[in-house]
Amino acid sequence: MHSVEKLFIHNNEVKLEAEVFQIENETPSCVALMCHPHPQFLWV
Amino acid sequence: MYNNVVSSVFNSFVNKDISCMRFNFRGAGNSTGNHTSGKGELSDVKACVDHLTQSLHFDRVFMCGYSYGAAIGCSTINYSEKIIGYCAISFPWDFMSVHYKEFSQSKRPKLFIQGDMDTVAPYENFMKHYNYYSEPKKFKIIEGADHFYQGFEEVISREVMNFYKSIT
Repeated sequence: MHSVEKLFIHNNEVKLEAEVFQIENETPSCVALMCHPHPQFLWV
Repeated sequence: MYNNVVSSVFNSFVNKDISCMRFNFRGAGNSTGNHTSGKGELSDVKACVDHLTQSLHFDRVFMCGYSYGAAIGCSTINYSEKIIGYCAISFPWDFMSVHYKEFSQSKRPKLFIQGDMDTVAPYENFMKHYNYYSEPKKFKIIEGADHFYQGFEEVISREVMNFYKSIT
């Protein structure tokens, strides 16, 4: 059973809120990275 | 990152037991910092790619972005050899700098999803922008969908998943 892990990724002085769903021992190892709209533009 | 489109695609990967990550740009949600109109956000995506490839040891990354997230995320396509391709949902070419169009040019596989009722990323300009890009590339027009894709989340998730499977 796998679950979504909440974490923060450090980018210099900024901490980025993220969620990762990771399958262990996955071969080949490929991951999808989702980039969302920015609320400053679209209020979403 | 809890927007309807992002959540639907993210959950579709989770439901298929495919590893995935979503994050909030600086200044959004619980991420610290302030919006920087692109420069800082590009580095945010690169930091996430580095985390996935260096800390979590993934060999390949498939990029998917929606609206502003498409412009920024897909503009990192050439940052790492480990980024195998991207899906851009409603790439907002017309309200972003032309640099993002240039940055997102690539010979890696690309899928562009566009609603034909979208006025934020105007549908009438879609083919002009699409034709700029090199092969391999594909597009999918979602009939009846505007920029916010209410009620079309499953359709988008299915298209993204099919494309992901076709290149992995």
